[in-house]
Amino acid sequence: MKKKVISMLLAGAMVLSLAACGGGSSDSGSSGGGAAAADSGSSGGGAAAAADSGSSGGSGTKLTIWTWDQSFNIAAMNTAIEMYKADHPDFDAEVIETPSEDCETKLTTCANSGDYSTMADIVLMQDNSYQKFLASYPDAFTDLSDIGIDWSQFPELKQSYSMVGDQHFGVPFDNGAVIGCYRTDILEEAGYTIDDLTDITWTRFMEIGQDVFAKTGKYLLSSEASGGDTLLMMIFSCGAGVVDADGNPYIVDNEAVKACVDIYVQMIKNNVVLLVNSWDDYIKSITTGQTAGIVNGNWITGTLMSTEDQAGKWEITTMPRVDGVATATNYANNGGSSWYITSNCKDVALAKDFLLNTFGNNTDFYDAILPTTGAIACYLPAAETEAYNAPSEYFNGQPIFATIVEYSGHIPAYNRTPYHYESRTALNTAVQQIVDGADPATALQEAQDTLAFNMGQ
Amino acid sequence: MTEKKNVSMIQRRLIPTYIFLVIVSIISVFPLYWMISAATNTSTDVSRGKIVPGGYFMQNFKNLVSQQPLWKAMGNSFFYAILTTVVCLLVCSIAGYGFEIYHDKWKDKLFSTLLLAMMVPQVATMIPLFQMVSKAKLLNTSVGFILPMVSTPFMIMMFRQNARAFPIDIIEAARIDGLNEVQIFFQMFFPTMRSTYAAAAVITFMNAWNAYLWPKVIMTDNKSLTMPMLIANLITGYVTDYGMLMCGVLFCSIPTMVVFFVLQKQFAEGITGAVK
Repeated sequence: MKKKVISMLLAGAMVLSLAACGGGSSDSGSSGGGAAAADSGSSGGGAAAAADSGSSGGSGTKLTIWTWDQSFNIAAMNTAIEMYKADHPDFDAEVIETPSEDCETKLTTCANSGDYSTMADIVLMQDNSYQKFLASYPDAFTDLSDIGIDWSQFPELKQSYSMVGDQHFGVPFDNGAVIGCYRTDILEEAGYTIDDLTDITWTRFMEIGQDVFAKTGKYLLSSEASGGDTLLMMIFSCGAGVVDADGNPYIVDNEAVKACVDIYVQMIKNNVVLLVNSWDDYIKSITTGQTAGIVNGNWITGTLMSTEDQAGKWEITTMPRVDGVATATNYANNGGSSWYITSNCKDVALAKDFLLNTFGNNTDFYDAILPTTGAIACYLPAAETEAYNAPSEYFNGQPIFATIVEYSGHIPAYNRTPYHYESRTALNTAVQQIVDGADPATALQEAQDTLAFNMGQ
Repeated sequence: MTEKKNVSMIQRRLIPTYIFLVIVSIISVFPLYWMISAATNTSTDVSRGKIVPGGYFMQNFKNLVSQQPLWKAMGNSFFYAILTTVVCLLVCSIAGYGFEIYHDKWKDKLFSTLLLAMMVPQVATMIPLFQMVSKAKLLNTSVGFILPMVSTPFMIMMFRQNARAFPIDIIEAARIDGLNEVQIFFQMFFPTMRSTYAAAAVITFMNAWNAYLWPKVIMTDNKSLTMPMLIANLITGYVTDYGMLMCGVLFCSIPTMVVFFVLQKQFAEGITGAVK
């Protein structure tokens, strides 16, 4: 009897679950058909509607958007949706939280299987990895050259991350300008001020760092050993890349790379730079006060500000420049991302109009997201608004937002490569070997060979 | 007197063993402890390496619930994990039983092919699988979610191995008593192999609960968010709130721990293959 009951239950569960699944599948089948119909309907009028912003709001399609980070990208996108909705009551969009790596995995799977139907209408992609996806899957994205954005209002470097030739594929979003952040209390203990670290060279930085270490026992900088960006930021600040104009690895005979590796290794050996193993250790070195300084993309301020007991102790300035290289500057970029419209977009005209009137040209929008997300614009006119010039209490009253946007206008362009992360790993490995006593020329040759291998050469 | 001495001598000889075991236990339990203590501290404290529990749990919990649909993700995870477990156990036990009890000259060759499939990593089959599911119009459905997980070579092998210990006499007796083959499976095999089912249930439940890559690729809307996806969402930002993250991880691990502890005894028996 008991056995019968169990088997009945089992069979019952099976039937129920199959019924539930069946319902789900027929449901999605019809919605898929609906999407296809909408797609074919709107694509004909896409070009015409792009020029006329008013008419495209009423199509009634719901845009889906893939992005990550509740307190940053998602919050900014939700504000954009709200603001656009205020002018276009019919507009509807849904954000689907998708971590950056998952956006990439999904894109790869869809592209390789030739079925883009599960792609969102709009996706956010990291600037450093986008080019690789565009090169591999050019039919996954929509050309945005005619979107109507005044491109001169965005830094050239930022635009270049989402461009091929003269074609624009992305709408720039957050700013990755590199800043130097320093603990003024520790600097003071060693007899320095923030001005002593402004617009200096890395050689001077090393002198100060050695002095700070001798007087306070604290490092002036920390960096991740294998995944750190410090070395690449130094190279990019010279307007140099790790590849030549044709995209081939260019490390061994590259004077800028050699100068950067040389000074970076010296700083590690002289207790100026603390090498740590992971991102978590990197954060720990900052929150525990083990290091007195940070050189990184300005988004690091978000982590800093969560360390409330260090409020008022930090100030920002420019990063140091590499000496002995003619093109060296005190500016570089690290990180940041841009919005893209996929080829699966149900209503390209609507998506373009939405991005244009929020991220593309709207200082009110950038003002609105600044206090809630801390997301700093690449849109240069945003720096002139009141919100951007407000003093930041955490940074001792400095108007850091306007300063950062101003920095982003000075960043030199460099030869980018889709193999950004591969080059980072190769160079960091070389640095480790040199610190451990290897011959610099051999180590750099090995880095160049590894990079070439990764590129499939 | 001598007996007492012997006992104390044995105990004394065991002291190093106990010390060793205690150390190993501490090492293996520490991550669990750290997860709980981190869930009760602020993010800054966690990054500073504080390991003493703090009083910040409720705040972390509130942040988590306000940022992520925790209960919905829990509900989804339970739904998919239970569904997968039930279907998988049924399919794989029938397959394992069939492989062992019925005879055919191609049987062993077929089984070897099946085991070969076990060697292929999941990522390698991802794109063809996606194409199949997409052609069958099963993208974004529960069927698409559980289908690749309901029949695994490992589970079939486990049931076949354990069915080997199932006395063939029982089947013959049941046939004489007039039960048909389906009845024999459900009324004879199923109750006898309860511990195997328990072990298989634990393994399948854990795998289904922790499934990440496949669901992420084929489920496209917010409605099908599961716990591992929720955890992944917490670590992608420019700023990671470690306290909140650990609070989420805690909620994600509780169900698998409960399932394991409840079925622990049967799990151990089932893995070693016991027929009662």
